[in-house]
Amino acid sequence: MPPAIHPVDLIEILRQHRLTPAIVFLTSRRACDEAIDTFAHSSARVSHQRSETIRTFLEKFAKDFPSIEHHPLIPVVQEYGVAAHHAGHLPSWKIAIEELMRQGLLDAVFATTTLAAGVDFPARTVVITQSSVRKSQDFTDLTISEIQQLAGRGGRRGKDLVGVVVITPSPYIDLHILGKGLTGYPEPIDSQFVVSYPMVLNLLKAHNLDQIEGLLAKSFAQFQLNQRSAIHQDHLDTIQEQLQPYGPRECADWVNQWKVFDLARRRKSHRQPLVNNDTPFLTACLPFLTPGRLIGLPKGPAIVLRQYRSRGTFAPMLSVVRAKGTIGECPAHSVTQIYDRVFEFQPSRTLPWCPPHVLHQLKKELSQLPARLPTVPILTETQEADDPLLAEVLTEEFPCPTCPSHSACKKDFPLASKLRLKSQQLTKTIQALRDGLWHRFQQKAEVLHKFGYLTAGSQLTVDGEWGRLIRINHSLLITELIRMDAFSGIAPGLLAGVMASISHDDDRPGSYMRLPSGLASVLTQVRAVADSLSPYEPPPLLRSDVAALAERWIGNPQLTWASLVRSTSMAEGDVYRLLARTLEFLSQLYGLKVTHPGLADIAHSAMVAMRREVLQELP
Amino acid sequence: MNHDDLKLELLNLPVKYLHQMARGRIHRHFRLGKQRLVELILAFPPDQRLAIEAELQQIQKTRQERLALQEARSAALPKISSPPLRSKVLSPKGKPNFGPPQPSVNLQQILEGIGVPEPMPFVPDPWQTEAVEYLAHSDVIVSAPTGSGKTYVAIQAIKQAMALNQTVIYTSPLKALSNTKFMEFTQLFGSDQVGILTGDRRDNAQAPLLVMTTEILRNLLYDAASGEIDLRLHTLGLVILDESQYLADPERGVVWEETIILCPAQARLLLLSASIGNPQDLAEWLQAIRPIPCHLVRHAKRSVPLRGLYLHPTGQLVPLFRNQDIHQGKGYHFHPETKRLFAEYEIKPFI
Repeated sequence: MPPAIHPVDLIEILRQHRLTPAIVFLTSRRACDEAIDTFAHSSARVSHQRSETIRTFLEKFAKDFPSIEHHPLIPVVQEYGVAAHHAGHLPSWKIAIEELMRQGLLDAVFATTTLAAGVDFPARTVVITQSSVRKSQDFTDLTISEIQQLAGRGGRRGKDLVGVVVITPSPYIDLHILGKGLTGYPEPIDSQFVVSYPMVLNLLKAHNLDQIEGLLAKSFAQFQLNQRSAIHQDHLDTIQEQLQPYGPRECADWVNQWKVFDLARRRKSHRQPLVNNDTPFLTACLPFLTPGRLIGLPKGPAIVLRQYRSRGTFAPMLSVVRAKGTIGECPAHSVTQIYDRVFEFQPSRTLPWCPPHVLHQLKKELSQLPARLPTVPILTETQEADDPLLAEVLTEEFPCPTCPSHSACKKDFPLASKLRLKSQQLTKTIQALRDGLWHRFQQKAEVLHKFGYLTAGSQLTVDGEWGRLIRINHSLLITELIRMDAFSGIAPGLLAGVMASISHDDDRPGSYMRLPSGLASVLTQVRAVADSLSPYEPPPLLRSDVAALAERWIGNPQLTWASLVRSTSMAEGDVYRLLARTLEFLSQLYGLKVTHPGLADIAHSAMVAMRREVLQELP
Repeated sequence: MNHDDLKLELLNLPVKYLHQMARGRIHRHFRLGKQRLVELILAFPPDQRLAIEAELQQIQKTRQERLALQEARSAALPKISSPPLRSKVLSPKGKPNFGPPQPSVNLQQILEGIGVPEPMPFVPDPWQTEAVEYLAHSDVIVSAPTGSGKTYVAIQAIKQAMALNQTVIYTSPLKALSNTKFMEFTQLFGSDQVGILTGDRRDNAQAPLLVMTTEILRNLLYDAASGEIDLRLHTLGLVILDESQYLADPERGVVWEETIILCPAQARLLLLSASIGNPQDLAEWLQAIRPIPCHLVRHAKRSVPLRGLYLHPTGQLVPLFRNQDIHQGKGYHFHPETKRLFAEYEIKPFI
């Protein structure tokens, strides 16, 4: 967000109070460029003399770095003594601005916070307009170290008596974050150690496994893990101390013993039915009292229509149809006979509990019953012998109920078991902290063994010998592609395009370019390989637009930098960084000239074709 | 004293004195605001009025004495004086006066001292000489804020090592920084003494002082460990890692660790870092893994003092904190004027 104050006013006020030169930190590249744009036609000009000095400086500078000769910002810089400085600019432009600033020719530089991390050019005043910064789609608050990095640019040694931090509000600024950041102590730093594939290969090349374990133990990561595990160890020690009074009793491991006993006891109590006042006979009858069953009631035969439970006492009840054709309710225990006769019908959920025509039919059936009907024999189940058995087990296998320390165990168990659980957890955590790094190394080594870079004895194979020379991100993908011969006889431009799309991990949107068909098919192959490797290595973005850009630069030696930049919506500085990074990746491939002379040749010719104009002017 | 006079006097008094007067007279006076307090005090029957007036005079007298004392003290110690706490000047209507800048914030005083110092012969700070001296027999970690002169330490250390015919490697995290340092060192030591190695550049690689990015040094150390190249490791006397706080960089931090672990034992390490929270951890770590002791030089004070200002979108410039200079670790209190203006901005951001 741009600051609430107009940039021209801001600079005027700073000049008026002799607070220039100043660095103004803004949130985005766009905010910086827009701030510069607002100066056009304003009255905030610098003196004619200074304007001339800047002009001669820039002209002289353009002799060494021709890429800035026609930079669109030059008129503003000359006339108003202000400039923008962010990662979207070419390095040569940034060097020019830094040099102008060092010579005190500029009044203000509008910069993004990335400036603070990199190059060193101080000013008298630092203007902060934000308390948060965009990091991958999201705004995060600036940390204390970041704020101090920003503020640290204020005050030049030997040129200023006092440095000044000016805070001016923009939407979403939080003053307290800045207050804390300016006066607080910076955050402690943490190790960011990751075990990468080239690291594993390179370590195994020169050392054996024991030595490597020692080397990993020497890392700052392990140092910090040890610090943390020491804290856990202290905690564990106090818990062990608290566990002292709960040592062995009648049995050595009484906590466990009590736990099992307690569990068994509880299970026993659960076996008892919760609410069931039915007699065993009735329980045995109920499965037979289904709709359609012919039963005998004291008043005569009837047919069951439905079975249900009474609302109040939960007693089993029946709805029946009698010989007269009336529907009545009766408790299930009043059933005297259960006959071996069932009339099939479809029960319904509302009165009369069956289809009306069935009711009529049932009435007819009831009136035509023979005198004697076979009854269903009901077998009453004897009570399950489960409970006494369990009780027996409890007394026989567990000595607890009769043990002299029974009451003590019962009292101490909750606390003792809690402490023991905690101590077990802590022991595990400490173990994980101690061995974590080594495990990660072993995991990576296993993957490399699976892919054939390592032998079973953790020696480098032939592939491993050259694979270790690829020491960049996505090394596994690149070495696998080389082993598949994906690059044999490829055009230098295509190779550079693929390397560019592997190396570029910025998701800042760029424009879509027409993709040459050769590049499209190669990229599809690379994407398939990258996806198949995704369990072992996070796949790169593989953007096709950056690939096309690099391919175009190398494929067409007549292409000028200006027309290349015009063909994309990416910022000039981003294009430069993309190509420089591609160059780095290509030089890694060139390093394989002993084992892969063909590929190294292609990479070399791509590098030669790439180094022209802007890419050559920097030392 | 008539009614209006008394009202004005009361309104000009800080609210804590009003509470003092209201104690025992007004029920639950601590729940009330200034306006309401004044109204209630003025509504007392005339027989209590005299007592109140007497008390008011007493309070005003003690206040004046205190203010005089404060002024005398601030005159005696001009350096640490904070701008006097401005009590809100109230117009007779009793409304706070949000108007044009009040003279109570003295711009002259804030901006005093800004300017160019007299040219002075460069005298190294004690911590700088300390760092260079300790480098003779131990590794050194320097943690100091940006722009406080870490480069001086590096240059002195390089001179010291080169006098002993040792090779020196200087690494920085960025290629741009490496190039700048290369040019700087070339001017200092002569072009035949300095070489540079980056991803795609290799100049004068046999020189006694080599500038490179940390990744390159890491690769060299790996190659040297596997016996492929001879990096003159036996003559390597000093490795300087600039911007060592990159150790905590999520992507590249591991390179610094690898470099430090693989660094040959006879070479001294000089870690230059911006201020970080736990340099003693780093020092303990080096002490634990390196055969030679490690010395931590921690310097928190900036060589140029820093001052905070708040610029309101209307163009008003006021001090940011109550203390003029920004100090570390002492907490912070925003200047009341900053607080007021910022609150105003938050209510009405677009002016």
